[in-house]
Amino acid sequence: MNDTTQAKRSDEPVWWALFSAGGVCFAVVVPGAILALALLPAFGGFSADNLSYPRISALLHDALWGLAGLAFIGSVICLPLFHAAHRIHHGLHDLKLGGGLLSKVLCYGSAAALSLLALYLIS
Amino acid sequence: MSKTINIARYNPQTDSQPQLQAFQVDSDNSTSVLDALLQVQQQDPSLGFRWSCRMAICGSCGVMVNGIPKLGCKTFLRDYPDKLTVSALAHFNVEKDLIVDMQPFLTHLAAVKPYLINAEQSSQPHRQTPAQLAKYQQFANCINCGLCYSACPQFGLNPEFLGPAAITLAQRYNLDSRDAGKAARMPELNSKNGVWGCTFVGFCSEVCPKKVDPAAAVNQGKVASASDFIISMFKP
Repeated sequence: MNDTTQAKRSDEPVWWALFSAGGVCFAVVVPGAILALALLPAFGGFSADNLSYPRISALLHDALWGLAGLAFIGSVICLPLFHAAHRIHHGLHDLKLGGGLLSKVLCYGSAAALSLLALYLIS
Repeated sequence: MSKTINIARYNPQTDSQPQLQAFQVDSDNSTSVLDALLQVQQQDPSLGFRWSCRMAICGSCGVMVNGIPKLGCKTFLRDYPDKLTVSALAHFNVEKDLIVDMQPFLTHLAAVKPYLINAEQSSQPHRQTPAQLAKYQQFANCINCGLCYSACPQFGLNPEFLGPAAITLAQRYNLDSRDAGKAARMPELNSKNGVWGCTFVGFCSEVCPKKVDPAAAVNQGKVASASDFIISMFKP
């Protein structure tokens, strides 16, 4: 708060960037995925055969040298996980239950672990 | 028309906490909360509250009206047909009745160096285009009333948080084409008690009597701090 000691830079920009990117994915990509994978096939928008294992597997693993699958998992699972973790971390602070290092490690740590698990499962 | 107004009274020498006291005031269509407080002071001269301009310019008469931060002079009894309770601004220490200690707020304002920093010495006027003025003009309308600090739950949880008005003022000078002091202000904004203390609740912008929109300034500040973070990674 004074001129003699400079305030320490917060690492929050990293988490805020992941939170922002996750927010966009939550708002745009996740509803699109729900529409394409759940609602349209259920209501007969297109045939469920379009979601057959060989077709989806080819899309995830082969399209764009595997980058399509990576982008899909990243935008539907990983980034939204970091968005949710950020909200929980700050929500705990608001409830006076945390907001310190422990809740940070737990929230972002579980987001990272679940992201790695998702990437491992499609690899 | 007579109306009942409840006022949170507090005398630090005798009371452990504020207590409500009811008063009767004459009210018509143009009676403001400040007018009502002045009437009450005629009945009980010991009532303490701040006021000066009566026209939403000085920012002195901030109080909680039914729990919402308001300027007394800009809030009218006609809008409160039922209960009306006036108390001291939240998140500040009460000195007496409706008077709070604004020192933490003033300390935060001073911490962001809210003045033009420019080593250039020139007797010529510093011209600005309308576009350069428009970048910061809205943020220059702050009257330092402190309502946004009473509205901010994060300032309530952490009094070290710089808070809406101070960050808005930092942003106001950082966006000014005549200013060269951004590098001196960024360390405060980059810290956990700077822009990153905000969780974008947005109530500061709702209560602001001058439509300054501090929440927008704080979030512009987050973008500025995030780009400052990235730039710093490429500096030796």
